[in-house]
Amino acid sequence: MSETAREDIANMDGPAALPRSSGELVFHDTWEQRVFAIAVSLCEQGHYPWDAFRERLIAEIDAAHEDPWHPDPGAPGYYEHWLAALEKVLAETGLAPPANTR
Amino acid sequence: MSEHHEHDHAGAHAHGHGAPRNPYLDKRRNGEETAVLEARVKAIEAMLVDKGLVSTAALDRMVEIYEHDLGPMNGARVVAKAWTDPAYKARLLEDATAAIRELGFGGLQGEHLVVVENTPTVHNVVVCTLCSCYPWPVLGLPPSWYKEAPYRSRVVIDPRGVLAEFGTTLGDEVEVRVWDSSAEMRYLVLPERPAGSEGLAEDALAALVTRDAMIGVTRLPAVA
Repeated sequence: MSETAREDIANMDGPAALPRSSGELVFHDTWEQRVFAIAVSLCEQGHYPWDAFRERLIAEIDAAHEDPWHPDPGAPGYYEHWLAALEKVLAETGLAPPANTR
Repeated sequence: MSEHHEHDHAGAHAHGHGAPRNPYLDKRRNGEETAVLEARVKAIEAMLVDKGLVSTAALDRMVEIYEHDLGPMNGARVVAKAWTDPAYKARLLEDATAAIRELGFGGLQGEHLVVVENTPTVHNVVVCTLCSCYPWPVLGLPPSWYKEAPYRSRVVIDPRGVLAEFGTTLGDEVEVRVWDSSAEMRYLVLPERPAGSEGLAEDALAALVTRDAMIGVTRLPAVA
């Protein structure tokens, strides 16, 4: 596992950009940190390229019809899209069956 | 999906310097929604731990890396290119936001970047007097002293005194300019190219550039 942040992950641009406050990552809840860490760890282990996850993430954000600069307060937040993208990538790669806990 | 709650945080955060924020930051969920999301994530984590694909410690470490390890080398590469490529330097001083994007450094979330050049007669230093606005796409995370009240208040009142505490003594012929960062404007200092670095290539030059020199609290020493 690499000991430094990967630029293609840390510096994502556009709608997928990581929420930051003066550079520091912002997480509201512990589960957001977990979903971030799981998605990045599996990528670093080579289970999927980062672009594959990023495209999934952007697709989830697009599907929510959310403009990141004018968000709908009733729509899911940024890391909910990470979670949805992770669940789909896990199912596609066969690493895990679709979650049944909803 | 259950109903989402949104508390009005606009008042709490609207102090000018913090904005523009990524609006995702202001989203909040109620306890019930959070519990459902936690359960989904726990299910994934438990299964991956069972399969030996992740460990809880490794996941904690991963979060730490991304929260803290965002180095200043992007800015150093910008500076080294400006030293070696006069046309790039001209573009950088004209429109730094566009010029750093040329090098592939995005990540600015609505802020404009301005590069200010040190010369033998002008020394620039950057502060954020109200909070901790910082040109993070090129400098990484701010050092703790940058965020603390003594630096933020004193560098404006007594810049020469503060610079001296960083070991930077400037002659009377040098004008000191203090740049106060804001929501819209983030500043990066282009340090003077060190004496003795004439023969060095761009990569070697980038290795000479320090974070503190790009904030403007130090000057780069001559190359031995």
